[in-house]
Parts: sequence; C-alpha cells; structure tokens
Amino acid sequence: MQLDDSDGALDSWAGFCALTGDLVGGAGDLSVGPRLAPAVADLCARGLATLVRDYFLHNLEETFKNNAVKTFWQKFHPYNNSSAVERIKFCVQESWPEDVLSTALEDICLEKSYQEKCVLVLVHTLQSYEEKARNRKLQAAECSSSLMPRYQLMVSSVLLTTLPLSFPEILNVYFKKKLEELNTLMDGSGDNDQLASHEFSGGSNVSAWDSKMDIDSQETVISESGNLVKNIGKVVRDLRCLGFTSMTEDSYSSAIIWLLKSKVHELAGDDYRIPVLGCVKKWIQAVPLQFLHALLTYLGDSVDYESESSGLKSPLASRPSSFPGIGVPSEALLRWHMRLEYFAYETLQDLRIGKLFEIIVDYPESSPAIEDLKQCLEYTGQHSKLVDSFISSLRYRLLTAGASTNDILHQYVSTIKALRSIDPTGVFLEAVGEPIRDYLRGRKDTIKCIVTMLTDGSGGNTSGAGNAGDNLLEELNRDAENQENADYDDHTNMDEKQAWLNSESWEPDPVEADPLKGSRNRRKIDILGLMVSIIGSKDQLVNEYRVMLAEKLLSKSDFDIDSDIRTLELLKIHFGESSMQKCEIMLNDLIDSKRTNSNIKTSLLRTIETVTGQEEAEMSHDVLDATIISSNFWPPIQTEDLTVPASVDQMLSDFAKRFHQIKTPRKLLWKKNLGTVKLELQFEDRSMQFTVVPVHAAIIMRFQENPSWTSKTLATEIGIPVDSLNRRIGFWTSKGVLTESVGADVDDHIFTVVDSMSDVNKNSIVNESSEAFQMNEDEGESSISSVEEQLKKEMTVYEKFIIGMLTNFGNMTLDKIHNTLKMFCAEPSYDKSLQQLQGFLSGLVSDEKLEMRDGSYLLKK
Amino acid sequence: MRAFLPRTLALLCSQRPGRLELPLARMKVKILQWHAVASWTWDAQDETCGICRMAFDGCCPDCKFPGDDCPLIWGACNHAFHLHCILKWVNSQTSTPLCPMCRREWQFKG
Repeated sequence: MQLDDSDGALDSWAGFCALTGDLVGGAGDLSVGPRLAPAVADLCARGLATLVRDYFLHNLEETFKNNAVKTFWQKFHPYNNSSAVERIKFCVQESWPEDVLSTALEDICLEKSYQEKCVLVLVHTLQSYEEKARNRKLQAAECSSSLMPRYQLMVSSVLLTTLPLSFPEILNVYFKKKLEELNTLMDGSGDNDQLASHEFSGGSNVSAWDSKMDIDSQETVISESGNLVKNIGKVVRDLRCLGFTSMTEDSYSSAIIWLLKSKVHELAGDDYRIPVLGCVKKWIQAVPLQFLHALLTYLGDSVDYESESSGLKSPLASRPSSFPGIGVPSEALLRWHMRLEYFAYETLQDLRIGKLFEIIVDYPESSPAIEDLKQCLEYTGQHSKLVDSFISSLRYRLLTAGASTNDILHQYVSTIKALRSIDPTGVFLEAVGEPIRDYLRGRKDTIKCIVTMLTDGSGGNTSGAGNAGDNLLEELNRDAENQENADYDDHTNMDEKQAWLNSESWEPDPVEADPLKGSRNRRKIDILGLMVSIIGSKDQLVNEYRVMLAEKLLSKSDFDIDSDIRTLELLKIHFGESSMQKCEIMLNDLIDSKRTNSNIKTSLLRTIETVTGQEEAEMSHDVLDATIISSNFWPPIQTEDLTVPASVDQMLSDFAKRFHQIKTPRKLLWKKNLGTVKLELQFEDRSMQFTVVPVHAAIIMRFQENPSWTSKTLATEIGIPVDSLNRRIGFWTSKGVLTESVGADVDDHIFTVVDSMSDVNKNSIVNESSEAFQMNEDEGESSISSVEEQLKKEMTVYEKFIIGMLTNFGNMTLDKIHNTLKMFCAEPSYDKSLQQLQGFLSGLVSDEKLEMRDGSYLLKK
Repeated sequence: MRAFLPRTLALLCSQRPGRLELPLARMKVKILQWHAVASWTWDAQDETCGICRMAFDGCCPDCKFPGDDCPLIWGACNHAFHLHCILKWVNSQTSTPLCPMCRREWQFKG
C-alpha cells in the first residue's frame, strides 16, 4: 500500500484517539469497536501499529490508575493509616479483612474485565487488519498477540508500584483467619478419624495414597467447608488475576505454616509420654492438605479459563498440571505435602531438641518423645543441632557445682540410653558424652557413686520395672545377654554367606563422625564401658568395688549374699575373672563362714549337753555368729582394741578353740571391734531392742555391773581411748538410755543409766530428731580404710626413697621423681601413676616435710 | 581377814531382803545375736611358702581359693609349705625327696 500524505495520517490518529477515549472512558459501551477499525487499519498501514498499541495501553493505564486502583487502595486506607495498636483492633473484628478484601477485589476485577474487553476489541481489530495484510502479502507488525500480555503486565505493575506496605499483612491476616476457621471446622468433624489410627513414617508414595484415601473418605467434610474454600478460592483467583500470584502464594503458605507450627506446639506441648508425630501427620492431611486440595481444584478450573484470556503467568504460580479427576493427587499437592511434612518434622525436632534435657531427665517415660525426635532427625538430618544445643544445656544445667554426682551419673546413663535409640552408631553420643565425662573425672566421689549404682541393684530385674532406668545392674544384665548373642553371632560369622551378608549391610559412619576415631570401636555402645571410661581404668573401679563390698559384707548380720554373688558374676563377665578374684574369695569366705558356723555350733551344743551344770552360762552359744575372713584378700581393715565383757570373751574363745579343733592347725584371730550386735535392754518397765556395733554393746554391758561410770574408768575398762569413748557413748545418750553429767574433773564426764520412764519421755523428742544424724555418723565411721588411705599407705614405702633422692639432688621436678622411682624402685616395684605421686607429694608438702618451689620439690629446711 | 568378814556379812545381810535395791537389777542387757568378725591364719612360724614365695594365708599359684582348698603341710623337719607346692616338688625329684629348706629327707609330719 502506498503512503498517503501526512494529513491523512493525522486525521486517522485524531479519530483513533477520540474513539479510544470513548471506549476506555466510556461506561461499558463497546459499540465503538467497529468504528475503530478503519482508523486503526489506516494507522497500521502507515506502520504506526506500535504507536496505536502503546497509546491505547497508555490510555488504559491512566484510566485504570485513576479510577480502579485508587478506589481499590482506598478501601484499605483505614487500616493502612492506623497505628500498630489500632491494627490489632482491626484484626479482632470477625469479618474485617474478608469483607473489605472481597468487595474491593470484586470491584477492581469488574473494572479490569471491562478493560480486558476493550483490549480484546483492539486485538480483534488488529487481527482482522493483519489477516488482510497477510492476504496481500504485505508485511505488518504483529501487535495483536502481544497486546494482552502487555496489558496484564501493565495492570500488575501499576498495582505493585502503588502497593501499600501493609497489604501483604492484610492478606496474611485474611488467610490465617480463614484457615483457623477451616481448622475448627475440620477438627469438629475429623476428630474420630484422627483418633482412629496413628500411622508412622513411610515414603511419600504411601502418604500420597493415604492422603488420597482421606480425601475420598472426607467428602462430606469437604462439602461443609466447600463454601469456605470457594470463597477463599475466589479471592485467590482475583488476586492472581491482578498479578499478585506470588504474593498470594506467599501469604497462604505462610498462613498454613503458621497454623502448622501452632498446631505442632499445641500437640507437642510439655508432655513427653505420648507420641505426637502421627497426630501431626494426620492433621496435615486433615486440614492444610484438604484446604490446598480444594483450593487447587477450584483454581485449576479457573486457571484453565483464565489462560485463554491471559498469557501472562508468574513462573512461581503453582498451577496444577492436571486434574483428570479427584483420584490422583496432583503433583503440586504432593509437593505441598512433602513441604509441610518437612516443616512439621523440623518444628517438632526444634521443639524437642530445646527440651531434650527435660526429656532425658524422665527418660524411660519420655521414650515416645525420643522416638518422635528420632524420626524427625532421620528426615531432617540436623543431628549437629541436637549435639550443640544439648551440650550447652548440659553445661548450663547439669555440670555445675550444685548437681550431685549421683544425679549427673543418672542423667548420663539416661542420655546414653536415649541417644542410643536415636543414633545406634553412637557418634553423637560420643560428642555429647565427652563434656560429661570430663566433668565427672574432676569429681572425687565419681568412682564411689558409680560403684554404688552398680551394687544397689539388689532388687533383681523383676522388682524395679518402674525405675529400671536407674539400675545399672539391669544394664549389666542386659549386656550379659547381649554378649551371649554376640557370641552366637560370631559363630555364624564362620559361615561365608553370613559374612557376605554382613559386609553388604555395612553402612558408612555418619558425616559428623570424628575421623580420628575408628568406626570399629563404636560398633557397640555399652553403658558400663562408658562408665569405666570415666574412671580411666577398670582396676580403680574394681578396687573401689572391693572396698565397698568388704564394708557391706562385714556389716551383715546374716550370710545372705545371693544378690552380691549375682552382681559379682555380672561384673566378672565384664571385667574378667582374674580381676574379680579377690572379691570372689571374699564372698567365698562368707559362704565358708556359714558352713563353719553351723559346724561349730552343733559341736558346741553337744558339749554343753554333755557337760551339765553349764546352765548358768549367761549366753548360749547360739547367739554367736562369726564371719571368718581370709584377711590377705580383703582390703586393709582398721582394727581397734576392744575389751569385750568377760562372758562374750569366753564365748569367743570357745568358738575359736572349736575352730582350731576342726580346722587344725588354723587359728582364729578375732577382730573384736567389727561385726554387729543385736541386743535388748531390759528395764523394770520396758525393754528396747537395738542393732549396734560391738563397741556400743561393750559400753552398755558395763552399765549392768554399775549404773554410773566416769568416762576415764570406762575407757580403760573397755580398752579404747577416752575421746573415742566419748564419741561412741553419744549413741546411747542420744537414745535416752544414758545421761551425761559433768563430774568433779572437767574432762571426766559421768554417765548414768536412765531408768525411769518419765525421764525417757522427757528426752525422747530431742532424741528422735538427733537419731537419724547419729546413725549417719555411725555409718560414716567405716571399718575399711578408704582407697585413698590405702594409697597413702602404699606410697609411704617410697617416702624414704624420695627423701633420699632430694638430699642428694637438691631439688627435682615431679616428672623426674616419677621417672627415677620407676627406674630404681624394684622391691617393691613402683607402679603408681603420675597423679598418684603428685597427690602423695602434696601430702608431704602439707605435712611440712617437703617444699615446692617453681614446680620442683625440695626438702624443707 | 578378821576385819573383812563382818563387813562382808553385813553387806550380805542388808542385801538379801531387798534385792530390788541392788543396782545390778536396774538394767539388763540381753544379747540376742552377736555377729563377730575374725580372720583365720595358718599357725606357721613363717610368713610365706618357701617354694612359691606366696603368703601362707594366701594360696599357691595354682589355686583360686585359700584355706581349705589350699592347705599347708608340715614336714618332719617342721618346715611348712603349701601342700600343692611340696607335692609338685616331691614328685619332680627322681631320688629320695629332700626338704627344700634344710635338705633333710622329706617326710610328711604324721
């Protein structure tokens, strides 16, 4: 087509402008359309198609901006202009964002759809022109196809540039409210369903099918909530059509996640005794997925319709790929499902990790929580988070001076058990346990506490189902069983096939594993081994156990040692027979004693029967029992002189004589201060029974001959020092049997028997309160010298060596002393550790025998 | 002696009618059970066995339990050994066994 003059062009342009103004500004009158055609055709022919398009769009934009957008944002003005506090008031209003939002959206969409029609008019005009042009094989700018996308772009950019800051907030509030509404609706109807079953784990495929089935079964619920979802869907669709696709998605996903989070918090709470993961999963399927399903279905329909008119779509828009039927959940839904589940796992995991300390405190009861956590961690793999947070809470709450060693140990054991179930490879346990072990090594009573934990499991395995977690013996027991199983495994390992299977099931260590430590030694987590590793060597533990066992056995009044034998057997499995040899001899002594006792008693009774006239013997030999020990194998026993009353002495020597007869040429050496005595004090009007140590018995028996004694004479009579007597006699005064008064000499106290009831009553209140204390004090006085004392005794052998060395060399460092002793001390050979030597040397320093200067020791001048 | 007798008599006389006044009767201690502790020892002159150098009150290297399970034995020369130790010694000798301590002929003490 040849070009007209410029006047013609101007005419067409003027006509086009006028018509455009009419069309865009007009009140829905589309009739101008046909009249537009000639002008447009003319302009296009002149190659001004792009100008036409741009002008048209510009016009639309102006109108849209001035009318629709302004009124749209005005609807939200009251909220936007208010302060933060006032905004809360808005949010409280029940229908607040919903009403405003839906009406505003409706209006603006109406306007937009009108404008779209206008655009379509131009598009049609252009298309018809282009068709003609193509028929005449003329080149023409292809403007028609790009017009609609450009328009959509314009709309969203206009809206986004004028967007008030608080609009996303409004959307958020809206979705939150709607979801909560839906939640309550679903909760009401889905309760039975939720309780029906807890299903655990399973791949996403399984859950997808589950969700599908749920969707089917809950059709009724959907219809109830259908309206609600439809409303939401409408809003979402309107927002999308305005180009807020990504913002909308952000809003409703954050609302869903917020709701999920609050739901998890609500379900998980502070109760660790019920598993919550199943409930959470159930809920995800019941509420948010239902919602999304409905929403996506709804939008899926509308999107299809929309896509005809609008080519523009945000790449972020989660347009469902296909919805052939309700049957198969769409990919988008699946993705949502996985996303939500991951989020739920993570939330629950964070919640549980934060409270892990408490959970482990009541471990056996809280195992459901641990199980939940395990599943969460399997999914999220954030083990290191657990380690860090748990270590810091340990440092803050457990490893402080205020916590008793026992508590720390118990917590340690629970930690081991709990983490063992979370992570069988023990890598994280290693990381968590290290600070605890380090701390415990710094405590003096750790060994004692561990041994007590070991030996206190006297109840056996049936008694303590409730507190089985606290019972280390249980652990030993299980270990014993496990070891048997392991042995069994070893046998089958001979089989080549089995070995192949084993090697196939090999799994690498977790990424967090310390590469310095081989994976071989973390195969099996055994609690006792970990406990021993706190102490350092099993010898120390065995030694401590021996001392405690000795104490326990010596204070026994019968020969019932079944539980001790059991414990020993279990320890033997763990520590080997040879290291428990001495303990075994100790128990054997008790068994032998029992036999010897009955032997001797029967023979003694026979002699008494034959020798008549012995009746006046105050005590029958029946009352005497004796524990006969092989002293070489027992820990050093503190012996103290004690003169027992003649009658008892007679009894003892009779017994010893008989022993000598039966077991010639063995002899008995009495340790008179040891043992227990059950006695009854008989007064005129009452009698009292006591179980005491022999010293107490010896004291009180003296008061039969004489109702009052001075402490000095009594002490010489009994053969113990006065201060020791004064300490021991406190037992009887505290019981209200004796009273104390100051005699002529200030140091010499007089003790008198309290024989009338009234006196006792008068004292009884005071006494009762002090009784517990007295007993404790009594127990505190152990007959076995402690491990430390033993060590000191052993070390004194080397004192001369050390003094000699220091006189020759002047001064020496700790290392040098240690090495020299190691080199030259053959008899007795020096086998102490550096720490033990240091302890001993500092003892010598405090005794003022040595002096320490600049890290080396020298003789005190 | 003569001065002593009347006093004792007087004491007896005064006590017989009123036994209750006796301080002895005020409190009585009845022993229900006396569980004592003792250690046994072989009544040997020496501390350790001359063969294995282990304590007599312990046991020979082959034994686990001391006492009845690992007894001592005396020879005619009054030297004592762990039974197991001296038996081993005696059995290992080709000619007449001698006491390892004094080299006299070894005879178990009857």
